[in-house]
Amino acid sequence: MSNPIAIKVDDLTVAYNYKPVLWDIDLEIPEGVLMAIVGPNGAGKSTLIKSILGILKPIAGSVSIYGKPYKKQRDLVAYVPQKGSVDWDFPTTALDVVTMGTYGALGWIKRPGQKEKKAALEALEKVGMLPFKGRQISQLSGGQQQRIFLARALVQNASIYFMDEPFQGVDATTEIAIINILKELRKAGKTVVVVHHDLQTVPEYFDWVTFLNVKKIATGAVKDIFNDDNLTKTYGINFKVSVNK
Amino acid sequence: MNNAQVEIQLIASLVAIACAIPGTFLVLRKMAMISDAISHSILPGIVIGFFITQDLNSPILILLAALTGIITVVLVEYIQKTGLVKEDTAIGLVFPILFSIGVIMIAKNANDVHLDIDAVLLGELAFTPFDRLIWFGTDVGPKSLWLIGGILVLTLVLLFAFFKELKVSTFDEGLSASLGFSPILIHYGLMSVSSVTTVGAFEAVGAILVVALMIAPAASAYLLTTNLKKMLLLAVGFGVFSAISGYWLAHTLDASIAGSITTMLGLVFLLVYLFAPSKGVIAVLYREKQQRTEVSLLTFLLHLKNHDELEERHVNHLREHINWQKVRAKSVLDLALKNNMIVINKNIVSLTEKGNTFTTKAIDYIITNKDAQIEDMKDDFFLFRG
Repeated sequence: MSNPIAIKVDDLTVAYNYKPVLWDIDLEIPEGVLMAIVGPNGAGKSTLIKSILGILKPIAGSVSIYGKPYKKQRDLVAYVPQKGSVDWDFPTTALDVVTMGTYGALGWIKRPGQKEKKAALEALEKVGMLPFKGRQISQLSGGQQQRIFLARALVQNASIYFMDEPFQGVDATTEIAIINILKELRKAGKTVVVVHHDLQTVPEYFDWVTFLNVKKIATGAVKDIFNDDNLTKTYGINFKVSVNK
Repeated sequence: MNNAQVEIQLIASLVAIACAIPGTFLVLRKMAMISDAISHSILPGIVIGFFITQDLNSPILILLAALTGIITVVLVEYIQKTGLVKEDTAIGLVFPILFSIGVIMIAKNANDVHLDIDAVLLGELAFTPFDRLIWFGTDVGPKSLWLIGGILVLTLVLLFAFFKELKVSTFDEGLSASLGFSPILIHYGLMSVSSVTTVGAFEAVGAILVVALMIAPAASAYLLTTNLKKMLLLAVGFGVFSAISGYWLAHTLDASIAGSITTMLGLVFLLVYLFAPSKGVIAVLYREKQQRTEVSLLTFLLHLKNHDELEERHVNHLREHINWQKVRAKSVLDLALKNNMIVINKNIVSLTEKGNTFTTKAIDYIITNKDAQIEDMKDDFFLFRG
């Protein structure tokens, strides 16, 4: 790949109560890839994303987005947290949640107006959720909630997308719809980083992969490194998956 | 109504509005208990402030006491962060200690401090009109009115300026942080407003009622709306209603104003809890009953579709085959008839064309696991739905 480096992580170590969750991670993610982060539970996959986004403070190391710290590059980045991290009973509608994606560009105090609402409606349309715009978010199915989150990221019109387990608890139709949108983003030259659980679908969905288990095991093109050897190193047991090449 | 009565109701209403606004966000953040902690642990701050200023309405006292509120939040979070105890335990550890320090300070200086425990717990709303603010020799109203009015204006300005930030950080902390709206900053901002409001409301309504005024209106509003702005407006409305009706209840019963306002708050919540259109107890029970009937109907239709044998479809045998009680079987049969799903010919039940289409579609959705769509389908077919 001769593409520029979109995200660069240097010697990143993150600890909860003095126990390292991520240990000395070096990682370079080239622009324009659709990358899966895989690893067992507790491997630090979500922690890695949150540290890159400055939500968690690392005890060592640094992160840069196109060569600059995250704080200066916020408008280039969109983030989709785990669906379970928010309270879906919150009194708000689908359209309002998607509009939140525009808040970053607005900055402090300024309120969203017609322009922001129009962008949010377009994003809802893109994920097939326009008919549900006025619905209270607890009245949506799991798959629909995930689409709303995706729409909220799309409205940010970013260059880099981070998604934390977007396929968790969604039906097959939504999973296909989401992955198609992600592939479209890649086609448009965007970089997409996804915490992913289902190893079977990695070769089908992604072109880039990072194996993570507290330490970085491997990172690179799926066709080069998605093999039994790396899976065994990451998950600690003998792995035999048939990889479609 | 005389002047003092109007002033008391005005003060009570302003306190209610000032409490309902931060209260709404505390309820949504599941932090209702922190307001209990703040309202108690500001006591030592108030006592120390009173030693220094000798004036319960002094801004210095307000700031000192609000600072104690913030310290409470910090202490609770610090204890919680050790991972040794959970948040509710941490709250339960911190505020009684700070509150008792305040109680001891009052007791040790009972002679020269114009503060007593009753007033601390329940406030002295009835006495607030006596303490007047004199400005250039003119009486401009009770000091409490100006104090709580000032706090309310501050709260409103902050609410209008940072509504979007409060909303996003309350709903989704992770997104808020990634967008650059520091959740920690907003959290402490909200805690500061809650503390200042609590201190301002403290003299008027006491430590116990402050909690009720923050939580009860917001909790009632939460059951009635799915819109944050409406929730804020409803909470404010419930607060003001309880404040004024509570005052007149106290007037009629010749009882404590603070106690009566709290009773009204409880009553409002009870009524909403029972009768809220979609989240209320009665609505939920009704919906469950309707769902049971609908599931029965679907089971019944599936049974008919599965069995061509006349015996299985005979009116008198149906009950045994599906194993239902008589009443339920009858009501389901009636419902199916009323919706033109079935016809009964010589005591043999058959699906109509509509019934057949409905059941075929339902089976298809169940098999392909699109349960949600059955709901939409029911709306198309059933007559008894709106």
